[in-house]
Amino acid sequence: MTTSIEVIRKLQPQILVHGLHQGIIQSILDYDHLLGREVPSIVGIIARGRKKERFFWGGTEVEIPLYSSLSVVPVAVKKVVNSLVNVQSARNVKDSVIESIDSLPDLKIVDIFAEGTPERHALDLIEYGKDKNVLVVGPSSVGVLVPGVLKLGAIGGTMYDQLLDARIKNGGDVAIITTSGGMVNELIRVVTGQGRKVSFAIAMGGDRFPVLDPEEAILLAENDPETKEIVFFGELGGTDEYRIAELIKAKKVKKRIIVYIAGVVAELFDTPPQFGHAKALAERHDESATAKKEMLASVGVAVADRFDDIAKSLEQKELEAVELIDDQVKVRHKAYFMSHLSGEEDGKIQLLGDELLNTVQNNSLASLTLSVLLGKQVKSKKTIEFTDLVLKLLVDHSPNVSGAVNTMVAARAGKDLVSSLAAGLLTIGPRFGGAINDAAEAWLNGVENNLSASELISDYTQKTGIVPGIGHKKYRLDNPDPRVGALAKFAEKNGKYFNFAREVESITTTKKANLILNVDGAIAAVMLDLLTTQLKYTPEQLRELITIGFFNSLFVISRTIGFTGHYLDQRRNDEGLFRLDDSDLRYFK
Amino acid sequence: MPRRKISEYRSKKIINRVLGLNYVGWEVHEGKIPEIPPGGIFVLKVDQAVKQRFKRGLIYLNLPSTHMSDHVSILTDKGYSSLLIEPYHVHEATGERYISLVREREGVTLHYSRHGGVEIESNKDGIQGGLIADLDLKKVATETGFTTKQLEALIDIFNSQYMSLLEINPYVIEDGELKILDVAIEIDSAAELLVSEWTEADLRSPAAVLTDEEIAVKKLNNESPASFSLEVINPDGAIFLLLSGGGASVVIADEIFMMGHGKQLANYGEYSGNPSTDETEIYTDQVIKLLLKSKAKKKVVLVGGAVANFTDIKNTFKGIISVLEKHSDELRKQGVKFYVRRGGPRQAEGLKAITKALENMGIMGGVYDPSTSIPAAVKSLVKGLK
Repeated sequence: MTTSIEVIRKLQPQILVHGLHQGIIQSILDYDHLLGREVPSIVGIIARGRKKERFFWGGTEVEIPLYSSLSVVPVAVKKVVNSLVNVQSARNVKDSVIESIDSLPDLKIVDIFAEGTPERHALDLIEYGKDKNVLVVGPSSVGVLVPGVLKLGAIGGTMYDQLLDARIKNGGDVAIITTSGGMVNELIRVVTGQGRKVSFAIAMGGDRFPVLDPEEAILLAENDPETKEIVFFGELGGTDEYRIAELIKAKKVKKRIIVYIAGVVAELFDTPPQFGHAKALAERHDESATAKKEMLASVGVAVADRFDDIAKSLEQKELEAVELIDDQVKVRHKAYFMSHLSGEEDGKIQLLGDELLNTVQNNSLASLTLSVLLGKQVKSKKTIEFTDLVLKLLVDHSPNVSGAVNTMVAARAGKDLVSSLAAGLLTIGPRFGGAINDAAEAWLNGVENNLSASELISDYTQKTGIVPGIGHKKYRLDNPDPRVGALAKFAEKNGKYFNFAREVESITTTKKANLILNVDGAIAAVMLDLLTTQLKYTPEQLRELITIGFFNSLFVISRTIGFTGHYLDQRRNDEGLFRLDDSDLRYFK
Repeated sequence: MPRRKISEYRSKKIINRVLGLNYVGWEVHEGKIPEIPPGGIFVLKVDQAVKQRFKRGLIYLNLPSTHMSDHVSILTDKGYSSLLIEPYHVHEATGERYISLVREREGVTLHYSRHGGVEIESNKDGIQGGLIADLDLKKVATETGFTTKQLEALIDIFNSQYMSLLEINPYVIEDGELKILDVAIEIDSAAELLVSEWTEADLRSPAAVLTDEEIAVKKLNNESPASFSLEVINPDGAIFLLLSGGGASVVIADEIFMMGHGKQLANYGEYSGNPSTDETEIYTDQVIKLLLKSKAKKKVVLVGGAVANFTDIKNTFKGIISVLEKHSDELRKQGVKFYVRRGGPRQAEGLKAITKALENMGIMGGVYDPSTSIPAAVKSLVKGLK
């Protein structure tokens, strides 16, 4: 343990929060905002569930990425993390803190929040941290505060107005060291209420073996150039204060210490009571509050007999007014929806990060379509050209197909445009028009699981009997689909997905000549490759696109044109209600 | 969370087995007497981490099995629920030795002495030992009469079962045979899910007889993720505490004590860890029950604590208010006054609500936000006694 307060004071905090604790996370972000930071100091949260979580950022909101475990945190993030709050449950504390120290190369400080961490685990952490350059505080710690720099934990408060009331925006010269988390805010206010400012505050936690023990905490304050005075809150139980006295006697600590030791009331009890904190139990006389106070007074410590004496022992300075809470923060609320596509800013409509008209002028229809579908402006020319081809190819495939038939039937029944179009669109599903997504899933599964083409084929034929993206009614090996030929021209040279699809085709066509790569399969494979090589999508991001139905959306959009055309065509034809002839429906009795 | 004692029965059972020795003893729970050999002579004792059992008359020696059920009744009538029966052996109080293991920040220490027994405190000079890492176990073995293997087994069980203190005092070596006469073990109750030799049922608290209110709060504490404690100091006290926070509650109790009103303090207790409104209600109900029973003429209650980190003041006060409203007639009749001092999330709403409620019920003492210091609020509380 050699990280000093001065090192922390110079940090640009990059915090990882291990566990999703809304109150703590929000209060750290509020403190960032209070300090006028442009971006949050929290770079990620380790928690299962969603991919990101929204928090307030002043009066508006910000997204913080969630990672399901430390091991999936991207290397680039791991590299920059220098501070960590661990809000894991007590039994996971030891392993998760050790893992964090091991895998975060720039880590300087850890705060452990959990109460009820087994003593042996805390001792193991002490032993483990001995030769590591990381300041570990806790367990049972509500945090470490270096005003103006770092609020690591709930310390200082969890509501925006509490942070203002505490007057902790700027640093000063009084260090606060306490075993009690509940008292740390009280003490901060005692200090700042005297017109003084806090150099740093640490809640060590009231466990039997805090990783950072009182002696070490006092030395942190002694060695901190900003700190002039130290306020120390201790309790009955344990003998740490004797070691502090030794430091003072040995002149290793020269700064003025104001000490309050809680627990004189224990004298009222027949058997020594266990107070709220694990360590707060005095079985021997030397562990009692009274004994510790007398001993500290004997080495020249300013012992506060009564709680008010702490304030009285501090030189008073001019008290500055408490800042008022920003009106926007006061009325803030979580929006119902968030959008990465478009929205209003200063009364102007924005689309894909620019004013609507600018965006429109800078995009072809295909480019705009793909960008809107992916939720970000796409610039790859090749991908846009491919999309253009796909959108054109899928517009119509004769009125004989199910979706078009339904559109036409509705149109002839006198339904309006939207109803007729909806009848067609609602036909799109597993057997009609919905195969691009399934094909994309097949190619992604095959490539990412390192399956051979024949393994994938047997997987699918066992499960469903067919391989998505393979097979056509009419086209065969000797009569190839001209559309697939056109799509294939866009295939990336070393496109792993398209190559895989072709390998699958080379096996299926040996079984039956019409089991060729079809339009759905080809679009899926080429698009997967383009997204990977041109737009740098990771397999996880591709998986997400499949989950949310992106690949089918290309079909839906394009075919909407076709269905609309068929609707208008039928209305122009004006043939009246369609009815099947008796001969077209066989009745079985 | 903290260190707790486990029963004498469980301690002896574990340690004798680990040392390769036999142990005979029977636990008595809730007055149910187990099958013991008829015609035998026994010792019957309270097994609840109570100190000075001889002095308090909580041990019966030389007890024939025919007298067992009478004596069990005497102890259970006194409110003791966990007893222990052992065969009665006479041994002379000579050659009693001492050995202990303690978990410290620097490591586990082992101490031993040839002069053990009840006088161990006065024989401190005879105690040897230190950090296990620095000791030569072979030498310790020759000096203690344990084998190296037995010492290793003790250290092993000490660690694997998350013990923080193990005291074998006394033991004797009779005709070269090791005999364990008494064992005390403290474990780290946070490790309950990590151990195999003891469970929650083996934990013992020194408090001999609990009030119904204390039992109810213990139950609440065991069932909730938040924490609750309640200890009755003086059932006819005048000052009642309904406080939040492990540190602040002690500071407030200290202030009352330092102002010379310790004797009037009825209870110590606290809730923390952001309890729900319902849980706060249950807790408050117990404190109010104690309060209404007290025979003190004037009664005051201090509600609140320091500036909370998380605990939602509005929610917790809502629970408190609803209980006070339930008892409002009785509280007014007894002239009870409530004093509140609190800060934290949603303090403004919480303090406003409780001010209104106390005024409406006619039991207002004073309501303070964090701009009033803890001692100032306590001063005003104490004034309310006059």
